[in-house]
Amino acid sequence: MGQYFLVYLELRNGAIAKSSIDVWNRFQELAACIDDRIYGLAAGPAAEGAFDVLQGNGTIYHAAESRSGSASDVAVCAMLEELARRHGVTGIALASTAMGRRVAPLLSGRLRAALLSGCRAFGGPDEACSRFIHSGAVIASYMSASAITVFLQGRELASPDFCAAERPQIEIFDAAPYLDAGIDVLFRTVMHSSQGRDIAEASVIVAGGRGMGSPEAFGLLEELAALFGGSVGASRSAVDEGWRPHGEQIGQTGKRVAPDLYIACGISGALQHLAGIAAARIVVAVNSDPDAPIFGVADYGIVGDVRIVLPGLIAAFRDLLIKK
Amino acid sequence: MRIVVCICQVPDIASVVTVVDGRIDLSRLSRVMNPYDEYAVEEAVRLKELLPGSEVTVMTATEETGRDLLRKALAMGADRAFELLSPSLEDSFQIASVLSGAIRERYADALPDLVLCGRESFDHQNAAVPAMLAGMLGIAFTGPVTAISASGEIVEFERETESGIECLQAAYPLVVSAEKGLNIPRKTGIRQVMEARKKPIETISVSQPPASLLRLQGVVPVSAEKNCRFATNTRELAGLLLRDGCIPKGEE
Repeated sequence: MGQYFLVYLELRNGAIAKSSIDVWNRFQELAACIDDRIYGLAAGPAAEGAFDVLQGNGTIYHAAESRSGSASDVAVCAMLEELARRHGVTGIALASTAMGRRVAPLLSGRLRAALLSGCRAFGGPDEACSRFIHSGAVIASYMSASAITVFLQGRELASPDFCAAERPQIEIFDAAPYLDAGIDVLFRTVMHSSQGRDIAEASVIVAGGRGMGSPEAFGLLEELAALFGGSVGASRSAVDEGWRPHGEQIGQTGKRVAPDLYIACGISGALQHLAGIAAARIVVAVNSDPDAPIFGVADYGIVGDVRIVLPGLIAAFRDLLIKK
Repeated sequence: MRIVVCICQVPDIASVVTVVDGRIDLSRLSRVMNPYDEYAVEEAVRLKELLPGSEVTVMTATEETGRDLLRKALAMGADRAFELLSPSLEDSFQIASVLSGAIRERYADALPDLVLCGRESFDHQNAAVPAMLAGMLGIAFTGPVTAISASGEIVEFERETESGIECLQAAYPLVVSAEKGLNIPRKTGIRQVMEARKKPIETISVSQPPASLLRLQGVVPVSAEKNCRFATNTRELAGLLLRDGCIPKGEE
């Protein structure tokens, strides 16, 4: 008998979030057997053709109806529960977004299903999941001991290159019975940020610390990040100085990030900061102090004042990227 | 308002976690209150100061004594504390089960108005207990919040999402988890520490928590150290990064 999986597809402004597409593709790769089947749930309004980005087998249930543009955590949780029961799924997967991080443990508690989050190696419900704990000092591996496993997956794994000729079927799902759970929080408004993206989802991050010297100097980081479609992050000291918003803080009391490329500018590399970048693949450090601890965890480095190095680096990349 | 704050102890960030014989060795480490839990305790005490007649109860689910931790929370301004001693606390599910069991028992007539937790613990970093607890208690969960404004009937709060800061409101009872930025926890002095000694700490022994949903297969220490290749100028650095394929393809 095949295995059945359920993937939550988060809709943002009518489009499926990139991180949800990655999770969908990962399960499609996993479902190599002919009998395996992938189900999807998307809640909220979708733009015309929003599901065309999804390939592979299976059925996607679209619950278009919702009260405030996006369905509430409790409603999504209840719908996932219903679909998991209906199809006898053994694994439910969510992308590690702000919403996914709330819904996954909620679902895990309700279904008494093991929660495996941030796996760095992935083999599905029957294999061990290894993840960083203790601020990146230790990798622990866990096995699920329950009938259903909930996966919460972020950028710890590289985006899969999944390609298939098949297209999933889209079915309308009636959300009405799940919308009024009576224990919901009510959405009022959203104050939009400048970046419009969580740094935890970025493939390139250019981050600045106290060594940047001023909030204005972060303009250089934005310029550098823009060359690669990346995002700007900050160390705790830069945030505590009031130079950047809390949402951009990387480290133990901030975001844990896993970009392909992390460029640390004017960041000394305190343990609290390093705890947030344990999963980064390539680390580049720019610092005026050759003994700064950040160089100890960096793949590439350059010693110098960020305000002199960065304009030079931006010019060099512009030059080389054009030639390429 | 009746507020419960769930807190835990974690190794101090300055201490180095080691692996001995395939197990994590925490025996030689100093422990501190989980920093996110400090935000939760601080917010509870501020709400108490704002809404007269409120009571702040702290709870910790722990395998060994957690009295030092509870005394610190009492010194910060909590009124009473419960130490929930459990023989096995291997995953978030067991911890949430022990906490929800104790809350249901202590608040048999009506659940507390507000249950505050830290966003996640610094050691296991699952960020799962607050949501699981809300599910087990059958009440709403806000997610990690960066601002709270509470009145007698309603709570307004803010949380971070991919597109910015969401502003929301909820009715009691609910579970709130504290994100950095919510407040700056107070320092406690000798006077508060002395006063805390007079406040009650009760120990409840949990004989049999429900079975863990996870099985730990093993742990390996990780070294973050790398050999840094230094470039002498920016052009060399940019060239190296491009040559070595460090620049991901842009997302159009």
